[in-house]
Parts: sequence; structure tokens; C-alpha cells
Amino acid sequence: MSSFGRALGVLRAGSRLVRRGPQRTTTRKAGGGPHIEPQYRQYPQLTKNQKVQSEILSGAMWFWILWHCWHDPDAVLGHFPWPDASAWTDEELGIPPDDEE
Amino acid sequence: MHTTSLMMTSSLITMLLLLAYPVFTTLNPDPRGPDWSLSQVKTAVKLTFFVSLLPLFLFLNEGAEMIVTNWTWMNTLTFDINISFKFDHYSIIFTPIALYVTWSILEFASWYMHSDPYMNRFFKYLLIFLIAMIILVTANNMFQLFIGWEGVGIMSFLLIGWWYGRADANTAALQAVLYNRVGDIGLIFAMAWMATNLNSWEMQQMFTTAKNQDLTFPLLGLILAATGKSAQFGLHPWLPSAMEGPTPVSALLHSSTMVVAGIFLLVRMSPLLENNQTALTLCLCLGALTTLFTATCALTQNDIKKIVAFSTSSQLGLMMVTIGLNQPQLAFLHICTHAFFKAMLFLCSGSIIHSLNDEQDIRKMGGMHHLTPFTSSCLTIGSLALTGTPFLAGFFSKDAIIEALNTSHLNAWALALTLLATSFTAIYSLRVVFFVSMGHPRFNTLSPINENNPAVLNPIKRLAWGSIIAGLLITSNMTPLKTPIMTMPPLLKLAALTVTILGLLLALELASLTNKQFKTTPNLAPHHFSNMLGFFPAVIHRTLPKLNLTLGQTIATQIIDLTWLEKTGPKALTSLNMPLITTTSNAQQGMIKTYLSFFLLMLALTTLLFIL
Amino acid sequence: MAGVGFRRWALALSKGKGPGISGLLSGCRAASGVTKDSGLGPYPKTPEERAAAAKKYNMTVEDYEPYPDNGEGYGDYPKLPERSQHERDPWYQWDHPDLRRNWGEPMHWHFDMYIRNRVDTSPSPVSWSSMCKQLFGFIGFMLFMFYVGEKMPAYQPVAPKQYPYNDLYVERGGDPEKQPEEVKHYEI
Repeated sequence: MSSFGRALGVLRAGSRLVRRGPQRTTTRKAGGGPHIEPQYRQYPQLTKNQKVQSEILSGAMWFWILWHCWHDPDAVLGHFPWPDASAWTDEELGIPPDDEE
Repeated sequence: MHTTSLMMTSSLITMLLLLAYPVFTTLNPDPRGPDWSLSQVKTAVKLTFFVSLLPLFLFLNEGAEMIVTNWTWMNTLTFDINISFKFDHYSIIFTPIALYVTWSILEFASWYMHSDPYMNRFFKYLLIFLIAMIILVTANNMFQLFIGWEGVGIMSFLLIGWWYGRADANTAALQAVLYNRVGDIGLIFAMAWMATNLNSWEMQQMFTTAKNQDLTFPLLGLILAATGKSAQFGLHPWLPSAMEGPTPVSALLHSSTMVVAGIFLLVRMSPLLENNQTALTLCLCLGALTTLFTATCALTQNDIKKIVAFSTSSQLGLMMVTIGLNQPQLAFLHICTHAFFKAMLFLCSGSIIHSLNDEQDIRKMGGMHHLTPFTSSCLTIGSLALTGTPFLAGFFSKDAIIEALNTSHLNAWALALTLLATSFTAIYSLRVVFFVSMGHPRFNTLSPINENNPAVLNPIKRLAWGSIIAGLLITSNMTPLKTPIMTMPPLLKLAALTVTILGLLLALELASLTNKQFKTTPNLAPHHFSNMLGFFPAVIHRTLPKLNLTLGQTIATQIIDLTWLEKTGPKALTSLNMPLITTTSNAQQGMIKTYLSFFLLMLALTTLLFIL
Repeated sequence: MAGVGFRRWALALSKGKGPGISGLLSGCRAASGVTKDSGLGPYPKTPEERAAAAKKYNMTVEDYEPYPDNGEGYGDYPKLPERSQHERDPWYQWDHPDLRRNWGEPMHWHFDMYIRNRVDTSPSPVSWSSMCKQLFGFIGFMLFMFYVGEKMPAYQPVAPKQYPYNDLYVERGGDPEKQPEEVKHYEI
């Protein structure tokens, strides 16, 4: 009987707390997505949404990179070839051969 | 009034009003509802972002730039202080970017800080910070710029020390404010010099009157200011310490907006800087030293936020190098692209830290790719963009900077350091991805892993798209002021990519070493140097305060008493009079010889006086 | 009241001790100052005096060690080890956790220097001298190498663009009457 009374007292105190509570405590605004309980030694739950989104983003990144590599390699490899001075022949430069005096 | 300028002015006023409105509502003493931060602040920033696109499109379409001088604030004799705004391509491009990044970060913060009892105040601080930043960016007047400069400084102090119950957070906030004050001395010095010698704080007037003057001293002041604000070597330790603040603060203040204010100041002042070789060389060397030093520190850090903070510092060094190359526009480009991926990296690390019950140590993460696929793929995108993977945001600025470095006539050592730091970037970025996303989980078994929240996914997603495409968008729409060098040997063209790939390979090799179970010969000296931040904080933060405080204590409790009471006051009077008294009384001893010699001495003196 | 004050002053003066002026100004002790027994005492010379001083500062006699008596005014204040508050155990239940200090614990003479966000003397894995050497060595090496790099700059060797007709002498507004000296861009 006494335990019952104690439980009642706890309930009463709790209800008082609850009645007083909402003025001060703000509601948790963390919600919005699907609710996932913290997991203990289990493989975590994943939603399809987050998997798909991550795939989309990574895919978009690689698509962006590869697309531009294919269509616009100049930005990486150089727009104009650098003249290779060592490949120029004497004839092109108009320099007479060394043995000509 | 012309339509374009009317549009620009009105959109500016709309922007400022929109941003200021939530701040003004907080003056109302009634408590604000719990959703005030989201419904008012975030919406205001979002709206402002869309409004700020209007001047951007006007600028892109018509090339419209303008200076608005609204109101003479005060004047003394011939010296006017005006309220004037500058809408050149720097501010027009930077404002929407800052707003976009802030919008995302505010949304993220509504999730990250949801259990904080003072979340509304937090949002208010962030908003005031943003207003200060926009004032700084759009200022055409040194005084106005200074207001924005100090505004971001004080807000960073308040936000770093947000968890003021922790002594570490207080220390970090104090460090930030003190290091920034050192920089402010430089800015105030430069402003005083300008007021004295150029007789104006209006930028266009300063630039015209400064043509024939020796600008070395004010430029040194400006460089000091940039060193403090942008955490260049010597004044850098506050930036990694600032990671004591909440992650949204790190993302907004210490990566994308506030810390670039120093670089932005130099970009603004580049007409003064470009003809002064001393200042340019100083910028170059300072930047190169910073980028290498902080990249070295980043290599061995274990705190994920510290790594990202050091990479920010390293990128700021790279921007400083670019200023030193006399390429302010490239530095500005790097500011813009850097904002996206660095803010995103911070948001990703915030999401991961929150998911792992506030665990920041990357050694206790791992396997996040399976657990938070979205966050970790964005982390990877951010890291790739940071290392300068072709066609992501970082590439367009970083590659251009390295090319400009390679083709300029410059200090060889600065070039070597910058290239080395670039490969270090690849190493620590890969290290983060390797430890966080790959491998097996090393965290404890009860973690509230959940990234399924629009307030997490949307901001990161927006910034991820920004990191992917912003580089191309900005580069293709910004008219270069200086002719970029289009042709160069392939070796130089590929230099940036080569050093990055070298760094990646090195990092992979090191990572595979950690997977094997064998005892490596410990080579601890370089590790300690890097892990303890080059001993800089340890040495400097102990020596200087100790010197100052010991001196202060000694002066206050001992030297003042010594001076007044013993050396000038009562004791000094005694010790001054005592010799006189003793001499006089010693002479009066009734010795006839003494009296006679006095008599003779007097006689001789009198005679001498008469003769002369 | 003035009469009372004057009398006290005169009394104090006639006794030849005590603060005359402050005796006039206020009858009671200012709350801001230290009381006579909590202020500094003279330097303890005998073991009994040492024991009394140690008790005054809540210390054991073994721990108590005054500053040397060379006229700097430390009196009997204990010379505590030069350790910062930050170095102390963060997990201990300090009475004042923010300062990591217990109630009644003697304060270091430089206590305000050793609070948690100022000087930190925590031990480091590397010795102090080696830290200084490495840091300043690094900075010095960097400065030296910047000097060297300034002497030997890196650049792409590029010559000014070459044109025929003596570098377009006439086309660039040179005097056509005068023949300029011939410019040769090559050497064989």
C-alpha cells in the first residue's frame, strides 16, 4: 500500500513538473528526417534516401570531372604547345652549317 | 537616376534592411520563440542572398560597377569621413557567396545547436557577424572598413568563447582577440598614415594621391593587419585554437569569411601594393612560410577540426603568396572557391562529430562511409576540391596560382615551399578521408549515428554542388585584370597536378604502413615538431606572457615602492642629506688645523676671484 | 564627530605609531585592505617563527620555504613551485574547478600569471631548450633560405620579342633619315 502511495506521489510530482515544464524547455527541433534509434553493436540502419543522395553527388562529381577532362583537357594539359627550341633545325633558323666558311 | 545604378543602390538597401531586421527585433524585450532562429534569421539571410543576385547579374550582364556615397558622416577641416559603398567586382561577387555559405551554415547550425539553451542568441551573433562582414566587403572608406573589421573581430571573440564555461574556450577566445589586436595596430597605423599623408580615407582618392609617395610604411601596417586577421605566420596560433568554438562558427568565421578579411584588405589595397617591391616580396615570403608551416602542422594532427583549420591556414598562406605575386584577382578567386569547399568540410566534420557523440579524434572514427554515406561522400568531394582535383572548385584557383608562380620572376625558396605545401595538402586531405571514411569503425559501440535530417543534408548538398561547379562558374564569368599566361612548358603547366599526385602517392604509402603490424624505427623529432605545432605556441605563449606579467607584478608591487619611497621619496632625502650633514659635522671638531686650512682656502678663492 | 576624529588623530600622533591620517579619515578599517594577521609578516628567522608562518599560510613546515630575505619586500610569503594551474589534475574535485584550486590553499606570488589562460608550464615531450632551438632554428633557416632565394630567383627565361628591320625602328616612330645601328639577334 505504501509503495502505491509513493508511486502516486511520484506521479503527482511528475505531472506538476510536466505542467510547469513547457514554459521553459523548448521543443527539440532535431526532428525532420526519419527517426533512427542509436544502435548498440548492430549494423546501423540507413535510409534509401541518404544512400541515393550520396551516390548521386559522387556520381555527379565524377561525371563533371570526366566530362570536362574529355571535352576540355586544355585546362589541365596546357592550351598552346610550348615551342621546343631544341627540335628546331639550323635550316629553319637560317643558320649556315658550321663547316661553311 | 540611371536604372542600373538605381537597381544596385536599392538592392543594397534592401539587403541591409533585410539583414538588420531580425537584429532590431531582438531589441524587443519579449522572449523570442524557439523557432525564431530558423524562421527569421535563416529566412532573412536566404532572402538577402536572392536579392544580392540582382547586382551580380547586372554586373555580369552590363559590367556595372559603382561607388555610392550616401552621406557625409563627419568632417574636420578638409578631411571628410563619408558613408560610401563600393560595388566593384570584388564585393559584387563576394557578397552572394558569403550569403550563400552563411545560409547553409545557419541551417546546419539549427540542427547542430538544437540543444543549446541560447540558440537564438547564437543566431543573432552569427547574423551580426555577417552584417559586419558585408560592411567590410562593400566599404569604400577606410573608416567604414574598419567598422566591419572590428565587427567581425568582436563577433569572433564572442562566438569562439560561446561555451564560456570551459577554460579552453576562454583561452582560445582571448587568443583570437589578442592576436587580432596586434593586427589592428597595423591597420590603425596605416589609416593614420593615410589620413596624414593622403588626406583621405576614400579609396579612389587614396589611390590617386598615393602615386608619388613612398608607401612602404603604411603597406607594412596593412600587411601586419592581414597577418593578424588571416593568421599568417607569427600571428597564426589563434586560428587552430579557435576550433574550441562550435563547428558552425568554425565553418563560417574561421574558414570562409572572417579569416579571408585580411587577404581581402590587401586585395582592396592592391593598387597601393603593386608598385612596391619590398611589400610584395614580404607578402610572398610570409605567405610561403605560412602555407608550408601550417601544412606541416596539419600532417600529424589528430583532431579533425584542427586538420581542417590548419588547411585553412595553409590556403590563406597560398592566397598571401598570390598577393605577393601581384595577382590580387587570383587571390580573390581562391577566396571565393575556398569558401565553398572549406565551409562544407567543416559542416561534414560537424555532422560526423555529432554522430559520434562529440568525438573529434580521427583515430577513433573510421568506416563512416558505410554509416553516413552522404556526409562522407561530401567529405571526399571537399577534400578532392581542396587538393585541386581538375575541374572541381579548388582547381581553377589553385592551378592558376601555381601556374602564375611558375611563370613569374620570384624568390626560388618561396616557390619551393609553396609547391611542397601543395603536396602536403594532398597528404593531409587523404589522411582525413582515410581515417574517417575508410577502414573499419574504431568508435564506441553506442553512437547516435543519424544524418537523415534535412537540416544536415540540404546545407551540405548545396555546398557540395557549389564545390563542384562554382570554380568554373566564377572563372568563366570574371574578366581577368591581368593577362594570364596561356602558354608554358608542360612541366610547369602540370606542376600543380604533379605535386598533388606525388603527395597522394606518399600519403597512400604512409597509410599502408599504418595497416601493417611491424615496429617502425621511431623518428620522433619531426613528429614532435609537427604535432606540437612547430613548438610555436608552446614557446611563444609561455615566454611573452611570463615576461610581461612578471615585469608587471614586479613593477606594481616592488619597483614603484622602490622608486617613490626609496629612490626619490623620504629615503632618498635622507641619503642625500646624510653625506652633507656628516661632512659638515665631521669638520666641526675643534681642530685648529682644520679652521686654519678653511681660512686659507677661503682667502685663496677670494683672491682668485678678484684676480679674474 | 570631528572632535572625536581629531582626538583620535592626536592620540595616534602622541603615541607615535599607527596611521595618523587614516585614523582621522575613518574610524574603521577599510574592507579592501588586508587585515594585520593576513598580511605579510617579517621574514621568519627562528624555527618557531617559521612554524607560525607556515601555519598562517596553511602549509606544513616541510613545504614552507620563504623567499630569500634580500630586501625585496617578500616578507614571510612562501615561495611556491613555479607551476601553472593548467598543469594540475583536471579530474580532481577542486573546490574551484575553474581555477583548479582548493579553498585556503596558498597562492603563488605570481598567481595571476599562472591562471589557466595565461602562462602554462605543463611538461612537454620535448625539453624546453630543444623546443626553442628547433623553433628558432626553423625560423632562422627559413629566413636564410629566403635570402638565398632572393639572390637566386626562379623564372622562365624569356627574351623580349624580336622583330626584323632593326626591331621595327621606322615603324616605331624612329627617324627614317638616320640609319640606326644594326641590331643582331643571333650569333653564329
